[in-house]
Amino acid sequence: MLKLRLPGLSRGVCANFRIPNPCCYSNSVSSSIDVKPKVPLYLRPPSFSASLSELSMWHKWAKNLASSVGSTFVNLDNGPDSTLLHRELNWLLQDLIELQHHSEILPRLESSNNENLDVRVALRAPLEEIYCVWRQRIEERRPFQYVVGCEHWRDLVLSVQEGVLIPRPETEMIIELVEDVALNNSPELAQGFWADLGTGSGAIAIAAARALRSHVNGDAGCRVIATDLSPVAVAVATSNVQRYGLQDVVEVRKGSWFEPLKDVKGELSGVLSNPPYIPSDDISGLQAEVGRHEPTLALDGGASGINDLLQLIDGVASMLKPGGFFAFETNGGKQCKFLVDYIQNEKPGRFRDINIVSDFAGIQRFVMGFRL
Amino acid sequence: MEQRLVAIEHRSAFLENFINQPEASPTEYSKANKELRKLRDSMDLISELRTKQKKIDGLRSLMAKCPDDKDMLEMATEDLHKALEEEKRPQNLLLKSLLPGDDADQRDCILEEASLFAMDVFKMYERYSHKKGWRFEVVDIAESDLKGYKEASAAISGSGVYGKLKFESGIHRVQRVPVTDKSGRIHSSAVSVAILPQADEVDVRLRNEDLRIDTYRSGGSGGQHANTTNSAVHGDGSERIQTYNFPQGRVTDHRVGITYHAIDDVMQRENSDVFVDALLLQQEMDAIATFSSAQ
Repeated sequence: MLKLRLPGLSRGVCANFRIPNPCCYSNSVSSSIDVKPKVPLYLRPPSFSASLSELSMWHKWAKNLASSVGSTFVNLDNGPDSTLLHRELNWLLQDLIELQHHSEILPRLESSNNENLDVRVALRAPLEEIYCVWRQRIEERRPFQYVVGCEHWRDLVLSVQEGVLIPRPETEMIIELVEDVALNNSPELAQGFWADLGTGSGAIAIAAARALRSHVNGDAGCRVIATDLSPVAVAVATSNVQRYGLQDVVEVRKGSWFEPLKDVKGELSGVLSNPPYIPSDDISGLQAEVGRHEPTLALDGGASGINDLLQLIDGVASMLKPGGFFAFETNGGKQCKFLVDYIQNEKPGRFRDINIVSDFAGIQRFVMGFRL
Repeated sequence: MEQRLVAIEHRSAFLENFINQPEASPTEYSKANKELRKLRDSMDLISELRTKQKKIDGLRSLMAKCPDDKDMLEMATEDLHKALEEEKRPQNLLLKSLLPGDDADQRDCILEEASLFAMDVFKMYERYSHKKGWRFEVVDIAESDLKGYKEASAAISGSGVYGKLKFESGIHRVQRVPVTDKSGRIHSSAVSVAILPQADEVDVRLRNEDLRIDTYRSGGSGGQHANTTNSAVHGDGSERIQTYNFPQGRVTDHRVGITYHAIDDVMQRENSDVFVDALLLQQEMDAIATFSSAQ
C-alpha cells in the first residue's frame, strides 16, 4: 500500500488543516500477494471524534466545494453535478457518524445554531481524512464508492476499493434473467454449479447465490464459483462473500475466464458475466470517475470491445452442461447483434433460445441462451 | 381437482341460469356475465375433458361386456390408449389454470407492481403540488386490476410549475419487494413521466413503463461507461432515469435495511427549488418512521 501526498493539499487551507496529512493513500499495487481488503467506512468503529464546531466547519467547506462544481463535470464528461455531489456528501456524513446521531446532527450542521458547539461527535475516521477524501472526490473525480468504500447494489451493500469495478445498476438485471428466464424455464438448474466470470466485487456471484438458494429447488447443494484475474478482486470478493455468510456456497478462484474451472467442464448449470466490453479507443474519453480510477482490466475489451465476450461464447459451448444457461452483459446493440450472429454462424446447433434483452434505458444490453 | 371442476361447472350453470332470468338488474346481469366470461375458457376445457372421459368409460364398459371377443378387445384397447392420451391435454391445461402458476402470476405481479408504483408517483406529484399551492386537476386515470394506475394524467397550474417540474420528465425506476409478490423477491419496475407545458399549465402524464413504450430515448452509453451513485443513471437533459431503491437502497442501518437517507433528502426538499431527486413514498416514510422509533 502506498501513502501518497496529494498534489491538491496545501498548507493553511483552513484553520483545522494546516499540515497536509499523509493519511490518504490509494491502493495501486496489484501485484502484492497478500491483499488486505479495506473495511468500508460505515463498518469501521467510531473511535475518532471531533467537536460539533469542527464538524460544522468541515461540512460548510465540503458543501461549498461541491457547490463550486455546478455543471462543469456534466458538460465535460457526463459526470456528477452539484446536486448529486450534495447528496453524496450527506451519505458520506451518514457513513462517518453513528446512525443514531445522524438525525440530530445534520440539522445542527445546517442551522446557524451556536449552542453546544464543543459537544464531541464520534466519527468512524479522523476528520483530516475526510477533508482529504472529499477533496479527492471533487478535484480528482475519485468515485464516491471508493471514498466510502462501498456500493449499494440490488439488496446488497458491497465493499469496493481501487482495483475492483464498481457494480453497475444495469448489471442488476442479470439476476432477474436468472430467476425469470433460467429458473423459470429449467427449475432444476437451481441445484447445480454456476459461474460468475470476472467477478470483481463478487456482486453477481453473491446475488445469484442468494437467488438460487431462495428458489423452490435451491439450497440443495447449489454452488457458485466466482473467478477473477485480479488479486485485489479475489480478496474483495472473498470478503464480501464472507460478510454475506456465503462462504460455503460461493467459492472465489483466481484465474482467467474458464481456466480455473477445468474441474467442472461440461457440468455448469449457468455461466454469468459482465466482462470488459469497452473498445480500447473509448477508454480515454470515459467519465473521469471511470477512466481515471476504475481498473482498465475490467473495462477494456480490445479494439472492438468484443474480445472477451467472444472468448466467453466459445467457452460456454463446452463448459455448460446440456440445458445450461448463460447471460452476458455487453456494450450495446451492436455487440449484442454481433454475438448473436456469431453464435448462429459459428456455433450452429449448439444453443437454443438465444435472446437479446434491453436495459431500462432501452439499450440492448444482454445476450442470453441455453446450451443444447 | 375433480372437486374444483365440479364447482366450476355448478357455478357456470348457476350463472347461465341467472342471466336468463328477466328479473336480474343491469348491474347484477353485467357482473354475472363478466364472471361467466372468465369461466368460459375453463368450461371449454372441462367440456372437452368430459367428452374424453365419456369415451373412455364407454370403451371400458365395452371391453368388460365382451371379454371373449379377441378382435373387439384389441381394437377397444387401442382406442382406449388413444383416448387416455387425448384426455391428458385438457387435464393438464385445467391443472395449470387452477394452480397458482408462476408464469401468469409473475407477469401479472410485475405489471401490478409497476402500476402501483405509477400510482404512488402520481400521488406524490399531487401532494407536492398542494404543498406548493398549485392546482392539481386529474385529467384521466386508467386503473389496473389491483387499483394501480396503468396510465394517469393531470393538469397542474400555478406559479413556476413548469420550471420546477420539467426535470421530472424521464423514466423513474424502482426496486422493491412488491406487495403483490408472495415470495418477497425484489422486482424492478419503471414508470415514464412526461411533463408538457401548456401556456401556464403543465400536463403530467404517467405511463406504465413495464410495457417498454419506446418514447424514451437514451442519452448516454450507460453500463461500464458510467459511474453513478445510488443506481441513478443520468442521461442528458430531460431524459434522465431516476432510481429509487427501497426498502433497501442506500442502507445505513443494515439490521433494518431501510433507506434512511431519503428522509433527510425529502425533509430538505421543503426549501429546495429543485424537485425531488429522491422521491420517497409517504407510506414508506411512515414505515421508516415506525421502524426507526421501534429500534
